[in-house]
Amino acid sequence: MNESRGPWYLLTGVVIGLALGLLYAWLIDPVAYIDTAPDTLRPEFKDHYRSLIALAYQSNPDLGRARSRLALLGDERPAFELGAQAQQVLAQGGSQQEARALAQLAAALGEAPHAADEPANSPPASSNGESPSPGGDPLPSATPDERLAVMSPTPPPAASATPLATFTPRVALLQPTPGVAFVLRERELVCEENFTAGLLQVEVVDRNRQPLPAVRVDIAWDEGQEFFFTGLNPRRSPGYADFRMAPGVLYSLRVGEGGEEVNEIAVPQCETADGFSAGGWKLVFAEP
Amino acid sequence: MRSGRLVWFLISIALGVAAGLAYGWVFNPVQYVNTTPDSLREDYKTDYVLMVAEIYEGDGSVDLAVKRLQLLADDAPLRIVQRAIITAQELDYSNRDLDRLGRLSLELQNWSPEAEELQP
Repeated sequence: MNESRGPWYLLTGVVIGLALGLLYAWLIDPVAYIDTAPDTLRPEFKDHYRSLIALAYQSNPDLGRARSRLALLGDERPAFELGAQAQQVLAQGGSQQEARALAQLAAALGEAPHAADEPANSPPASSNGESPSPGGDPLPSATPDERLAVMSPTPPPAASATPLATFTPRVALLQPTPGVAFVLRERELVCEENFTAGLLQVEVVDRNRQPLPAVRVDIAWDEGQEFFFTGLNPRRSPGYADFRMAPGVLYSLRVGEGGEEVNEIAVPQCETADGFSAGGWKLVFAEP
Repeated sequence: MRSGRLVWFLISIALGVAAGLAYGWVFNPVQYVNTTPDSLREDYKTDYVLMVAEIYEGDGSVDLAVKRLQLLADDAPLRIVQRAIITAQELDYSNRDLDRLGRLSLELQNWSPEAEELQP
């Protein structure tokens, strides 16, 4: 009689086993995320982490340390991410200090040679109690290891992994002098093929013609006003910023606090083989 | 014979559990994404606290420091910093960084949530 039941009981056992496994994994002892690395953070927390790195860099301008911290986030283009976030903060009416910090760090990354700050790629120090390099500043490993993230209902004791030591040559950050009234030095009409129509390019330099990041640029027109900072496109130049003008609108522009006001800027017309097309302007401002 | 069936039944259950674990751990392991700062490893948390201390050194705003620390854990901010100091010592942080953490810790000893609520 029993023999006629066949092997179905085996399948029943497997199903019961699977059910027990899932019951244990999902209800009795569900996954708890602990010991994770910054690159696994939710996007908004990554943004928060990035802001902290930039603000910390503003207080303690150690570029190697900032670079190592950014590496933890796993961004492919850290300077670009910083610049984009600075723009986003400004667009959302966020903290100007935060936007400025992000822009400054983006600019510093853009101008500093990466080779000088190699700890981001350094192997992590051993965890057998050896101390990091003398004089170095400790940091968590720049190479997040997913294997270190474990599933456990019980938090383990404090991590023993020795953080990376950063041996950081200081890179001087060009800081604009507060209250500097920048004056217009050059005004160039840009009429090039494939040029973005109506693009107003602003370059801010110091007395030695070195580009200056994080300088505020105010622009106003009849129906509104806006401001932005230099350095948000560090690949181009730390002192560079741009603005897209609308055709038929007159703009006034000022760089820095109390700087020279440049008025009646409008989208220029460039003569081409086919007639006319919209061009742009390139303005260079410098410390007096 | 009956006991033989029981053994095979138990074996099939074990196989089911093993299949579930293999699926969950090998073929489709957990992907660590969208985590929160409180899940960070202890040394990353310590560096996070150090960043807060560095920022505090620059702006002197203990309220902002507290808000940033509160993302790390539900504990009192002072406890978070004290824990970070212990980890920092274990990890041979430089004296300068330990000083930064210590200064923030000192400031937090005088801080209370009530004082924060009274802020305009």
